[in-house]
Amino acid sequence: MSENLPGIQETRELLKKKKVVIAGVGETEQGKIPDKSSFHFLSEASKLAIEDAGIKKDDVDGLVTAFSLVEHTFMHCTTFADYFGMNPRFFSSVAVGGATAVWMVAEAAMAIASGQSEVVLCVRGDNTLSGISSSGMLALIREMCHAEFEFPYGLTTPGGYALAAQRYLHDWGARREHLAAVAVTMRKHAADKENAMNKDPLSIEDVLSSRVIAEPLTKYDCSIISDGGAAFIVTTEDKAKELGIENDLAYLWGMGQGYSHQYLTTLENLDQIYNAVERSGQKAFNTAGIEPRDVDIAFLYDCFTITVLLELEGLGFVPKGEGGAFALEGRMEIGKDLPVNTHGGLLSQAHLGAMHHVVEATLQLRGDAGSRQVEDPEVAVVHGNGGIVSAHSTVVLGNQPIN
Amino acid sequence: MSEEKKEYNKPLPEFRPETKPFWEAAKEHRLVIPRSRETGEFFFYPRALSPGGDMSDDIEWVESEGRGKVWTFSIHHMGPSKAYKGEPPYVVALIEMEEGVKMMSNVVDVDPKDVSIGMDVQVCFDDVTDEVTLPKFKPAG
Repeated sequence: MSENLPGIQETRELLKKKKVVIAGVGETEQGKIPDKSSFHFLSEASKLAIEDAGIKKDDVDGLVTAFSLVEHTFMHCTTFADYFGMNPRFFSSVAVGGATAVWMVAEAAMAIASGQSEVVLCVRGDNTLSGISSSGMLALIREMCHAEFEFPYGLTTPGGYALAAQRYLHDWGARREHLAAVAVTMRKHAADKENAMNKDPLSIEDVLSSRVIAEPLTKYDCSIISDGGAAFIVTTEDKAKELGIENDLAYLWGMGQGYSHQYLTTLENLDQIYNAVERSGQKAFNTAGIEPRDVDIAFLYDCFTITVLLELEGLGFVPKGEGGAFALEGRMEIGKDLPVNTHGGLLSQAHLGAMHHVVEATLQLRGDAGSRQVEDPEVAVVHGNGGIVSAHSTVVLGNQPIN
Repeated sequence: MSEEKKEYNKPLPEFRPETKPFWEAAKEHRLVIPRSRETGEFFFYPRALSPGGDMSDDIEWVESEGRGKVWTFSIHHMGPSKAYKGEPPYVVALIEMEEGVKMMSNVVDVDPKDVSIGMDVQVCFDDVTDEVTLPKFKPAG
């Protein structure tokens, strides 16, 4: 791995000194919940995370939110501060699509490291499934592609990922089974997650024979849409002690971002995507002082099955082109080589960006994942992807302080 | 034909000042691709300034032969809006043009099952409304 990335040593020193941690997590019910608004979910998730940390609402002095697909706000963070009844010293809305939740951890850490805040509530919630209007859905689909040079050709969001998937299959001689295997593993994991939406067993054959959305992707290659909320509290080890937080802490070891493109039209080749994933991962791994083989458990953005393969390979967990075989051999399952998305991910639990990925990583490192618990994980990676495998973010978390 | 055109309910491009020459040429059934006069490099989609290091606003529109290859494609069985309901599956593709840039488009005049990566394609023009012509691609030769 390249050691020449700027800022690695400085960030390492800062994280060693500050010991930034995730000290509390919360998840509401997930699914089709038509009687709760977007801000209801945000509030409920915030309350759960504050209660999980065992602190008071007034102990929170920073707020990071994201955006809503239902409620149109220009200033999402302060709109929520007003609704929830907070007076934050630091506030920010992060909006990089599926890369958002992972970057919320980094945003909070940077605010803490620069003295803007000590206890940051990071929260997302939305009634996407029940609340989105058809014009809102159209706007969302359009947001993902170029309004002038892509959308008039009828590109959909699954279609954008299908374009990447088709090229992946072509370049590596991979098969649809390799994609399907990702969905099958996510479904297996969701069976043990209390609030997962889809728990019925799923076979490779089920995925292949389900309704075609955009070839080569079928219904089960695509993530679900859901209502729900999730939150986490970011602070420092010292502040957590001062506040009397009793949870085991998940320590931030490193973070990074990687940009490939916004519109597929400007994508040169698959390597451009791999490079963006790799840059994001490298920065996080190098700051953490680890290699991919040191990672015990991974949370990879799984809006579509193809993204998991691109991320497994781009992050260096498996050689390029071998992600499909890795998935098909069941090596992402709990108890195997590299457990991935032990909560069922966006494909089977619920879709709230990578919020649940961050929450589950924390629960696993704490040893609080119940029947899904991986044996003594020490290092977790969470990777988010926004746009159509466009914008990437990675964090490395550990169950001990970074050394 | 003209009545049919008026019923076109699928998404249409909203022109920006810097993209207008592209759409005006398309209406005349010509494909033009922007190029920086400073570096001689083609780029796509059109921007006001070249996206290269030159950041030049000295842009020329070069007429293209309209030849390219399918770089990737997806047969869409579900469209982005109600206007696609009941329509047969259609091909959305990224076309690698001879000029080196990629364009997103539809591959038409072919059974979607016969489309493949690397296939040679040639531009054709679909006058979807009186104002808008979409450049599309069909198998070459």
